[in-house]
Amino acid sequence: MAEISFPLPDLGEGLIEATVLDWLVSPGDQVERNQPLVEVETSKSALELPSPQAGKVIRIHGAPGETINVGEPLVVFEVPDNTAGIVGTVPKDDAPKRRVRLSAVLDED
Amino acid sequence: MLESTTATLDAAVEYAEVEHLSMQQALNRALDDVLTADPKTLVFGEDCGRLGGVFRITDGLQAKHGDARVFDTPLAESGILGMSVGLAMAGFHPIPEVQFDGFAYPAINQIVCQIARMNYRSRGKLPMPVTLRVPSFGGIRAPEHHGESLEALFAHVPGLKVVSPSDAHDAYHLLKYAASRPDPVIFMEPKSRYWQKGPVDMRDGGTLSGARIVRPGRHLTLVAWGAMVARCLQVAELAAEDGIDVEVLDLRWLKPIDAEALARSVGKTRRAVVVHEAPLTSGLGAEVAQLITQQCFDTLKAPVERVTGFDVPYPSGDLEDEYIPNIDRILLGIQRVLEYRRG
Repeated sequence: MAEISFPLPDLGEGLIEATVLDWLVSPGDQVERNQPLVEVETSKSALELPSPQAGKVIRIHGAPGETINVGEPLVVFEVPDNTAGIVGTVPKDDAPKRRVRLSAVLDED
Repeated sequence: MLESTTATLDAAVEYAEVEHLSMQQALNRALDDVLTADPKTLVFGEDCGRLGGVFRITDGLQAKHGDARVFDTPLAESGILGMSVGLAMAGFHPIPEVQFDGFAYPAINQIVCQIARMNYRSRGKLPMPVTLRVPSFGGIRAPEHHGESLEALFAHVPGLKVVSPSDAHDAYHLLKYAASRPDPVIFMEPKSRYWQKGPVDMRDGGTLSGARIVRPGRHLTLVAWGAMVARCLQVAELAAEDGIDVEVLDLRWLKPIDAEALARSVGKTRRAVVVHEAPLTSGLGAEVAQLITQQCFDTLKAPVERVTGFDVPYPSGDLEDEYIPNIDRILLGIQRVLEYRRG
């Protein structure tokens, strides 16, 4: 198992921090990619942050009302070692399938 | 440097000699060993530092060896390779990463005009001990630029060496071997095999130069490298059901190509099929076919066949299985060779 930290991303428009409004997941939860993790509020707006990946949430940082700076840890995931990279999927190791049969007379000269 | 390498390997005796590792883990261990043994080694690239690489190959290395030796770079491949040139000139041993095959194009000038030539240009005063890691080939359902096979481009450049491991054992030892060379080596990692586990003899790498027979056979030689080696082994098992005994030769080094190994294998089997993911035209299969033909012309029973990708840009996602040589296409290639009759 490996731990992967998800820091508060740059929310654009020069914003450097956000305040936690409400956690939508708890430690121990298994989350899917793009599943909303937390509702935060910046000086511009309130928004939900989607999960960048699938995995098990093992730590969350910031209680409701607390402010977190961009780049500081927000969520720590635990993922299996054989998890896919950020791009692409892990290929399935299916049993080999065939439709072609070989037919040959081997002259052993 | 060699002495400290030996010391590191001796220290590993305390652990099991043979470990069961994924190719990811094997590459990670190899980088760790090289960083430990050689203080001039630097590992860097996009997301290689804090994140540990998009495929976890550099996982934990920054924490262990410090952010002066394992570090993130900007999203600029020309800069990553340009910096490698300067570092090598200053006596360092850079191991840069280009995050994906298709991202190497912006750095072609630095690779071809600087890294490959500096030793030649300086009459040996400025060797370029650069090991460029390139997660390569397709098979992971990724978008454009994440599944390409650039071995023919790199192999065509005088001054570069090109190698691709096909399993965890070779990945561990070939990366350490490449990093110990005075010449630039393009190290093509078959990304679809990263998660595949296999035994790694941590002490004895075996012969690391040249090709390797991964399955002996009598009737026909399948020549492959990278991820296609595993597929050819599957094909060989299926061919055996039909009474055809296939030898699988893992080329490993794509520049220089082990011509003697090709001659030995095909001299015995008298039939050959080359399999690669890259497009057909001017692919490395043509070079392999010529080396076989030149050496085995008198005994070949059929022209060398090629089973390859198509002459189109690498397709993304769902079309990937239609592009990469599959089991049936390789079997059909074998059938064409078996059916061939002279005159």
